[in-house]
Amino acid sequence: MSQQLPPCLRCQSAIETDDLRCPVCYLAINRAPALPAAAIRVQTLRCRSCGAALEYRASLQAPQCAFCGGVLALEEKVDPVEQAERYLPFIFDRQAATDAYRQWLGQLGWFRPSNLTSNARLESLHALWWIGWVVNADVLITWTADSDAGAQRAKWAPHSGELGTMFDGLVIPAGRGLTAAECVRLIPSYSLGNTSDPAGPQHPEAVLERFELPRSAARSTILETIRRQAESEVQAQHIPGSRFRNFHAAIRLRSLVSRRMAFPAYVIAYRYHGRLYRTVISGQVPSCIIGEAPRSVAKVILVVVLAALALGGLALGLLLQLR
Amino acid sequence: MPVFALGFAVEREAANCAVRNWIRSRRMAPFGLGKMAVERLSGVYLPAYLYSATANSRYEASIAEKYKKLRLDRDDDGASIRRSEETEYRDLAGRHVTSLSDILVTASHNVRNEEIEVIEPYELSRLRRYTPALLQGWSAEEVSLSPEICLGHARDEARALVTRLLHEFMPGDGVRSLRHHTEFEEESIDLTLVPVWICTIRYHPRKPPLRILVNGQTAKAGGRMPFSWGKLGLVLLASAAVLAAAIVGLSLLGKAFL
Repeated sequence: MSQQLPPCLRCQSAIETDDLRCPVCYLAINRAPALPAAAIRVQTLRCRSCGAALEYRASLQAPQCAFCGGVLALEEKVDPVEQAERYLPFIFDRQAATDAYRQWLGQLGWFRPSNLTSNARLESLHALWWIGWVVNADVLITWTADSDAGAQRAKWAPHSGELGTMFDGLVIPAGRGLTAAECVRLIPSYSLGNTSDPAGPQHPEAVLERFELPRSAARSTILETIRRQAESEVQAQHIPGSRFRNFHAAIRLRSLVSRRMAFPAYVIAYRYHGRLYRTVISGQVPSCIIGEAPRSVAKVILVVVLAALALGGLALGLLLQLR
Repeated sequence: MPVFALGFAVEREAANCAVRNWIRSRRMAPFGLGKMAVERLSGVYLPAYLYSATANSRYEASIAEKYKKLRLDRDDDGASIRRSEETEYRDLAGRHVTSLSDILVTASHNVRNEEIEVIEPYELSRLRRYTPALLQGWSAEEVSLSPEICLGHARDEARALVTRLLHEFMPGDGVRSLRHHTEFEEESIDLTLVPVWICTIRYHPRKPPLRILVNGQTAKAGGRMPFSWGKLGLVLLASAAVLAAAIVGLSLLGKAFL
């Protein structure tokens, strides 16, 4: 895994050893003195096998020996698949997770089947670290839009503005094990300051989800998410008036630091009347449970019928009173 | 010393083919050019500067907001209501800040910036740190333009890009009188070697040879094709003949009906 270097001199964003340029502002890393005027000098490289001169071959995109065919590997731009750096610990064990799940089934409300707690059969319970990026970013947004505020003859008036905002501990899900909606609801339950040793996870049975994106694609995802968040913040809070159109934003990242983290969760599958349902419990707060549960059709019909009868009775009463 | 380099990915045969295809696509190229042998085709690493900066612009513009208006028209027959579209102009001023990157300008006195622009873009995601191994067996041109001149070219390109971005940034249904003052901050300029196949063809003994450039990464070809006045004359003659035939045909047709 690549190591972190001192941050970018221009934008203070995190730099890794394989980076040729800053991923945010494209400043060259370990660059030669600015504006060089020196002549280019060509050295003759020799084949390590036979000692003949090497020649760069466009088909291989690498130097090759014309005599023995040996290829000299060049330094390639590395684009590895990301790996988790830090793990948030599981605060409670499987038994506590099972208890939390049972308690949750019993508290789902009147519309659920009365025998749900007794008839729901636990099929599986897996400890899982789902993965995501925790991002700290300093962003400057300049924007323009038409809004109804200050409109004169036309319905719209042009507006512009700028906003400096910090994203501190913004979590961006990176895996596919959990849905985006599940991750969003789990995120508030985690204590981001409490991470375990970066050497590896301590939970013996937990499955660690893998990052699927190479670093360049991961950075694109992070930048796109920050852009969307920043634009949403401006649209929700800073455009005057009640309606707007033609929104445009220019976003400049003044700094960006991202950490790859693994978040603990228990994934439960249970069966009720032959159908499988899924529930996810935060590995740090047992009361944070997101899941699917069946509804009692009989109870729903009963409520609808009772409501219809009540409305009918009310209407009849009003009719009789009018006569 | 260069900071970065892009390796050649296009071989000589592919470059030759790209030149032929490009010549064939030029309809007004001089006669027989497509059949002429490529006099010289050489792969060269050209020096260029990669420029990046933060563009901080203050702008003022007049923004068009369209609206519908009902108008009452009176005439001798009575009155009628007409719906017309009007435009209201509102002033807008503000700031636009953005990061600019990957602006490539030539550092070679022999190859002008416009010649590089026609064969761009280069895949800068395949950028490598400069190593002499990339140059083995290939020519590399030395830097022949001063960094100050290249910086000026890069700023001109950046300014044109900012103007385009600002036009896209404006709200409303249109914009007029867009003025901006842009300052470039946190500039960086890094010497980079880019792969180019340079092809020369002597198509006329008294005229300078034709130079065609091929992107050494993507095989995109481009150059300044001389205009064939002979072909233009032929096209004009053919058009005139067709027009005359049409007029004669129509007049004969008219007489036949009369």
